[in-house]
Amino acid sequence: MQFLSDFASQVILYATIYTLASLGIVISGRAGVFNVAAEGIMLAAASTGFMTAFFTGSWIMGFVVGALTGALFGFLLALLHERYRVNQFILGICLVILGSGAADLLYKIVMGVRLDAPKAPPTPILSVPFLSGIPLLSALFSANAIVWLMYALSLAAWWFFYRTQMGLETRAIGESPRSADVAGINVKLTRYLATTVGSALIGLAGAYIPLVVTETYAPDISAGRGFMAVGIAIFASWKPHRAIIGGLLFSAIEVLSFQLQMLSSPVPYQFFLMLPFFAVLAVMMIFRKTIEYPASIGKPYSRE
Amino acid sequence: MIEAGMMEAGRIFAAVRRQALIYLVAVGLAFAVLALLVALMGFDVLKAFRYLLTASFKSTFGFQETIKKTVPLIFATYAFSIPFMIKFFNIGGWGQMMIGGTAAAAAGLTLAPLGLPAWILMPLLIVIGTASGGLFGMAAGGLKSRWDINPIISTIMLNFVAQHFLNFVATAKPFKDPAEGHPITMPLPAEGTLGFLGGFPVSFIFAIAAVVFVSFFLKRTRLGFEIRAVGHNQLAAETYGIPFTRAILTSFFIGGALAGLGGTLETINIHGKLIEGFAKTSGAQYGIFGILTSLVVGGNPIGVPFAAFFMSVMLVGADSLQRTMRIPVELVFLAQGIIVLFIVTVRESMNAKKR
Repeated sequence: MQFLSDFASQVILYATIYTLASLGIVISGRAGVFNVAAEGIMLAAASTGFMTAFFTGSWIMGFVVGALTGALFGFLLALLHERYRVNQFILGICLVILGSGAADLLYKIVMGVRLDAPKAPPTPILSVPFLSGIPLLSALFSANAIVWLMYALSLAAWWFFYRTQMGLETRAIGESPRSADVAGINVKLTRYLATTVGSALIGLAGAYIPLVVTETYAPDISAGRGFMAVGIAIFASWKPHRAIIGGLLFSAIEVLSFQLQMLSSPVPYQFFLMLPFFAVLAVMMIFRKTIEYPASIGKPYSRE
Repeated sequence: MIEAGMMEAGRIFAAVRRQALIYLVAVGLAFAVLALLVALMGFDVLKAFRYLLTASFKSTFGFQETIKKTVPLIFATYAFSIPFMIKFFNIGGWGQMMIGGTAAAAAGLTLAPLGLPAWILMPLLIVIGTASGGLFGMAAGGLKSRWDINPIISTIMLNFVAQHFLNFVATAKPFKDPAEGHPITMPLPAEGTLGFLGGFPVSFIFAIAAVVFVSFFLKRTRLGFEIRAVGHNQLAAETYGIPFTRAILTSFFIGGALAGLGGTLETINIHGKLIEGFAKTSGAQYGIFGILTSLVVGGNPIGVPFAAFFMSVMLVGADSLQRTMRIPVELVFLAQGIIVLFIVTVRESMNAKKR
């Protein structure tokens, strides 16, 4: 009982990283921009977000600055792609390198070398009264503020894409920017907005790791989760409600691999650590038939 | 006839001048950003640039270090470049390098008790390492052609798999050096290792051979021609009977094999044993620098050794900056990223205008 409850709350803790990041990738993807820079954005946001929270003592400021860092990267991605027509994937890879370099550089310059690991101010736990008292449901109804934000943003993204005019227009751009343009939708502006907002969510995911999960910053802190989030966005077929399912699934696999690693088994622990990465490939193989891409994703659009 | 030749020469000259201009502008802009950052951090800009650019040439040791970095970088660059000819991203050069080095080390340590002579063991290890890297790379090609998984995703996932596999072999009971705290294996038998020529690793001969091989392979062989054809126009190539699957599998195999060879040479030449971080330089993956180098030269295989050398000069300079002036190496990594971003942006926006 207690084990299950602990497992569930661990899964939700990690699922927030995956869900926020893949939601961000889904949002820009729907407008036709394939954001493979998530890993670099997360690392940069982790660094700026953590340091802001550390110096201001405010977890909210940490997340705000993390999101702004993400937005800045998203804007850069949109600018270089929309204005200078740089291939989205090349850009993404360059931004991963810039993001991870900038993250460690900033941290080294600002924080210097410290003997003790600096601690982040705690992010408050918000619980639903009564419901959180039920043993098995406690994981669901008692969680840190960002988990609730993740639920809210998932819902908002779904509502935006399937219940609003602008969401429909964004999806139309992802399918066919030319038709959308003819229909009078501002393709460029929407792509800028979607990439910037989406990257802000990726920034939130990045800041979440040092602020909540590890409570301190370390180099390469996202450890490939940004790339896995790209895999989740593909698995989700760029649908927000499937991003959260993917987030929970991969989080469960990651938590399971931690647990298995600690068991004394004849299988060397490194093979359990490989599990989440194989899982991404396995899931993409299994669900290959159901995966759909927005038709124009990754392709530049110009009126000529 | 002569006039046509003159015009052709004029066109080539104009193209070369344009390329040179792109590089000069990009490097200039990136160095300006770097200078600004160094100044903002309160360091002496001129002194920093002197260290950055001259560390490779001021001492024999610096030059040897530069060559030691150039060799794996050339292999990591081809690992990205060759699949990129058919527009696929092999981010897995790092993983393929690790698998190559790991497989060679595991084979060398396993075969050590047999006491094989050098003329058998050394080539055998090279073949094993190269083939392992190639097959590991080809897996990503297969995942694309058979299951339609984007190689960006699959190669990155396989990088992590390779990282854990390397850690497993370097810490496994029969291999690990008990005297070492870090994941490092026992030394390989001397018959399986390569030596140094005047302080330079023999591996640089392999790097030169790789440059020749890649140019020859792409220009003069049927498989190379097929890869270039698919890269130009996949549909047209398929219409003429060139199977896409073969092109993708071959390109990922060749790319992976070259990375695997690079990793093998690090293991059997530079270190003489398997070390966990062997595929990294100053804490950053060779694979990443390979991608940057490849984007700098933009698909020209002959340019690779020169660009790799330039990147290595900066990497050695970065180490020297950190040692002498306490400027973090990440600053130089950032500058390299900016150089590449500028080059790519200028080149692609020029190409877009031309179209």
